[in-house]
Amino acid sequence: MFDALNVSATGLTAERLRMDVTAENLANAQTTRGADGQPYRRKEVVLREISQGGGFGAQLANALGTGAKSRPGGVEVAEIASDQTAGKMVYDPSHPDANAQGYVQMPNVDTVTEMVDLIDAQRAYEANVTAMSASKQMFAKTLEILR
Amino acid sequence: MLFDTTQNALEAAISGAATRQQALAANLANANTPGYQRVDVDFHSSLAAALGSEDSKDALHSVKFAAQVDSSGATRADGSSVDVDSESAKLAANALEHQAAVQVAHARIGILKSAMGVGG
Repeated sequence: MFDALNVSATGLTAERLRMDVTAENLANAQTTRGADGQPYRRKEVVLREISQGGGFGAQLANALGTGAKSRPGGVEVAEIASDQTAGKMVYDPSHPDANAQGYVQMPNVDTVTEMVDLIDAQRAYEANVTAMSASKQMFAKTLEILR
Repeated sequence: MLFDTTQNALEAAISGAATRQQALAANLANANTPGYQRVDVDFHSSLAAALGSEDSKDALHSVKFAAQVDSSGATRADGSSVDVDSESAKLAANALEHQAAVQVAHARIGILKSAMGVGG
């Protein structure tokens, strides 16, 4: 019965992670020395659909053979991929990481793209919150039959 | 029997709306999943078929609601067929439909309670 809440919760988790990763990209927009000593590479969250509900109720229903065949299960993060496109070369001879020609290899982070991703994740998060509160109200209404 | 076909139909409608809510929530959760095909539960048709059958009371007891992939809508550039606005609208409509069924079911139980002298 509470599967709709779990489904919305998977959406909240995924969108929050997207927001975290976007924030990390923005924070590292000028980082010329990443973990491997190379300029930071922007990260991107890859989302994937959960085809079967993973919760206890869904597992039990499957074991008993009473579960609907195509039970919507929500969303999960498949991987956090790093973007392999090349970053900009900026002319700054005084920079410690400048090459012999005076150019610095910058991270491939575009702040405009990241801001758009941030707003996108925020709106998607809000949509899931709305769905969750609608489901919650529905369950509360169902319980009112008992009164 | 205490409960008639209408009451059974209302219960089935409540259960159908709850199943549909899950499908619509899954669509919103996958709003940013590339290639995702939206799912929906057509519980109205299942209910209408059950009500139209010979032994509608038994049919209502055994009616099952399952989510089906809906490929009728437009597909976005990333292969997903989810439109957040239309999903939100469907979600709100479904919640109202569910509430309507619950209120009618509640009122009918109230009538039975009055008849039994326990008050509604």
